[in-house]
Amino acid sequence: MIKTIYIENDIASHPRTKAILARFPHAVNIACDRYGEVFNRKAQNFRLQKKQPALILARKHKNLILPTPKQYGIGAAHNYYFSHMLNCLYDCRYCFLQGMFQSAHYVLFVNYEDFIWDLQSLIDKHKREPVHFFSGYDCDSLALDPMTHFTNEFLPLFIKNPHALLELRTKSTQVRNLLKQAPVPNCVIAFSFTPPKIAATLEHKTPAVDKRLQAIVDLQQAGWHIGLRFDPLIYTSNYVQEYTELFNAVFRKINPDLTHSVSLGSFRLPKDYFRKLEKLYPTDKLFSSPLIEEKNSIVYPPSIREGLLEFCEDIITQHIPADRFFSCHETVVASL
Amino acid sequence: MINIFCALPAEAEAIVQHYQLNELKQFGLYRLYQSRDKKINLTITGIGKLNAAAAVSYHHACLASCAADIWLNIGVAGHADIAIGEARLVHKIVDKQNAACWYPQILFDTSCKSAPLISLNNPSTDYTTDLYDMEAAGFYQMAIRIGTAELIHCLKIISDNRCTPTTTVNADRVKKLIAAHITTIDAIIDALLPLADEVASINSESEHYQAFIKQWHFTQSERIQLLRLLRCWSLRRPDQCIMQSIAALKTGKQVLTALQKITTDTNFVIHD
Repeated sequence: MIKTIYIENDIASHPRTKAILARFPHAVNIACDRYGEVFNRKAQNFRLQKKQPALILARKHKNLILPTPKQYGIGAAHNYYFSHMLNCLYDCRYCFLQGMFQSAHYVLFVNYEDFIWDLQSLIDKHKREPVHFFSGYDCDSLALDPMTHFTNEFLPLFIKNPHALLELRTKSTQVRNLLKQAPVPNCVIAFSFTPPKIAATLEHKTPAVDKRLQAIVDLQQAGWHIGLRFDPLIYTSNYVQEYTELFNAVFRKINPDLTHSVSLGSFRLPKDYFRKLEKLYPTDKLFSSPLIEEKNSIVYPPSIREGLLEFCEDIITQHIPADRFFSCHETVVASL
Repeated sequence: MINIFCALPAEAEAIVQHYQLNELKQFGLYRLYQSRDKKINLTITGIGKLNAAAAVSYHHACLASCAADIWLNIGVAGHADIAIGEARLVHKIVDKQNAACWYPQILFDTSCKSAPLISLNNPSTDYTTDLYDMEAAGFYQMAIRIGTAELIHCLKIISDNRCTPTTTVNADRVKKLIAAHITTIDAIIDALLPLADEVASINSESEHYQAFIKQWHFTQSERIQLLRLLRCWSLRRPDQCIMQSIAALKTGKQVLTALQKITTDTNFVIHD
């Protein structure tokens, strides 16, 4: 429940601002000039703010669409990401957002029209070449969709531009807005998973794995393409059994024909983010995992990492054609 | 620790009495008070932003406050139309002089409403829909350098408004206004204490850390590494006595190497 809403003066009269404020009539509304006055200020504590995040309604002025880090892709030469929100409803202990931000408040950029304009410009720039756009890098794409109407607003652009693909990365089961409309063939709803016991330990406030699977089944039955993201892979001594059970559960339920892609990446975080996280959550077992420093990132040692990746790849490629499988390990952050 | 700041003795009196604070005579620049268990401190800052900022700095230097402390500025304020005697937490502070602003993070449930506040250089009866005071901006901008944002707050009791201007405010009335809100102050402190405890737990060092740095020499960067490895040990080998395992080692570097082995041990279960 949102109890406090900060509103940039610049977008106070934006129709999307008004609509969102109307959803929270009891929230305290606080005016500000720029969201940076409230968000990510020194001395703020992410862990404390996560207990009661406020909503910040703001305008994104520049860098609305950015190229993805190298190797973050599912088959296209041109890959971009964008974030209509910063921060996430969920509280996954491995998430890089905790290391990147001092603040756990949700920032929602209400100027969707500027995002859509920039997306269209990039689509036009790449003419008829395949170009992929990823949402869900700095937030969960669907978790707040009933409030943000993100999918309703952005999908028409992709219906109009069938050679551009939109990936909505999520752990959410908020798929009602999607199920209300006809499936968009160039939109992939990409769900991320860890085995249930690991999810219960590390993915706080997220829907249970079986609920996410049910959302996939519902979407596929309606004709939507889905993606599977086993990223980050988390090491535990018994990972063979735990991941085997997870893959069995997933591939028993899903329709491989409507599975656009499957990707893998083992746990990795930039060193600075990792150090910040272990200070924030000193008693969390994830940060005492067998980890090493490599190229300014914290990763599993090669013996663990390669074992995990190879084992998972072997099983996944038994269920999914190799051309739909992607390993994203070199990407330096672990998020959704 | 809980650190309370009031501009005037009249604002402090009821709080000093309620928490049974005693004046610390050894500190002369500002009047400082402390509870017998040393958990609650109060400083009388004097009027104005500069005094408030300087008093916070002095208080910190005298009493060695830390990131897990609670910081409260409590006093009276004016407002256009809020009734005399009502209390407001402050959710936005603007320094009228330079338009700088801060946003106290109210992360706890409270029955006390919140309002924006403007800190003025001089008293004013040109009331607006913001609270008026003369200290919050000075208090907050200094406290935020020392403490944790979510634990720093301002509570203002309305002493004057359009119908009852500042000319009616006197020391006796101020005392009564604050005294009537002791339960509000108690409730705010009670709501902040779990957050403060959480910050303290985040910042607490391993129980063995002091013993290690007494027994072996570690450079500053090795001490940081040691803290991390001790934390790792306590999570991965909670039942094993760490001192027994490394007592025979001669140097800090040998200790770190031995502890490092734990972090590469692949026998590791992430969940219970």
